[in-house]
Amino acid sequence: MAALRNKSDQEIKDLLDEYGIKHGPVVDTTRPLYEKKLKETMAKAKVTVTKPSPDRTFYREDQEEVTYVTYQTPVSIDYFSCLRPVFRPHVYNTPSSSSYSKPTPVVKSGGGVVKKENTTSSGRLIPLWVQFLVFLILAGFLYFIFTNMESAESSPFNRIQ
Amino acid sequence: MSSTSQKHKEFVAEPMGEKPVNALAGIGEVLGRRLEEKGFDKAYVVLGQFLVLKKDEELFRDWLKDSCGANVKQQGDCYGCLREWCDSFL
Repeated sequence: MAALRNKSDQEIKDLLDEYGIKHGPVVDTTRPLYEKKLKETMAKAKVTVTKPSPDRTFYREDQEEVTYVTYQTPVSIDYFSCLRPVFRPHVYNTPSSSSYSKPTPVVKSGGGVVKKENTTSSGRLIPLWVQFLVFLILAGFLYFIFTNMESAESSPFNRIQ
Repeated sequence: MSSTSQKHKEFVAEPMGEKPVNALAGIGEVLGRRLEEKGFDKAYVVLGQFLVLKKDEELFRDWLKDSCGANVKQQGDCYGCLREWCDSFL
């Protein structure tokens, strides 16, 4: 790998075209910038080449595709698991959702803790604390409804009038 | 860039002539001095660089960051200023 600095302007221009880097004329003031860009792109290209993959011309595309797929699925799954227990209060008592089989007063804190444990560290579109907060607000609201309604199923806080 | 500064408005209102480099939006005293040390002592020299980079935003931002250490906002202000000036006068 010859040093970029020793190459002629024409060679730098050819390299920029080869890597598909958008550029203007290679002159005194632009040369350092293009050399830096080439250096970065070459280093990146070297990293992708060392990955075991079949003979392909566009390594960058391959990498992008992989990251795109892995990023999408966790977000979509998590969103549904977050929404489902909220919109259907009956689900609170079924074992399918995380752990809402405990009596209602514990749902607020117990369920919240479990929810936090399940989601440790993964890229999210909506920050974790926002999800947590929304969940708490909705859980509290539903708990309020539960205690103020006559529900035969599970409401140990029946008012004795 | 939703709103433009007073500096931007003043710069794009007329031909730049011999205005110093810190007349450009985003370029204050510190950045201006760094650019002058590199030989970009007038606004039109930075304009020259902007044109040689084919008025490309990414290239110009990278160049500005490398030459004087401009941050993202300063890069954006300077780019927007020059682009608008070119739209009117070039």
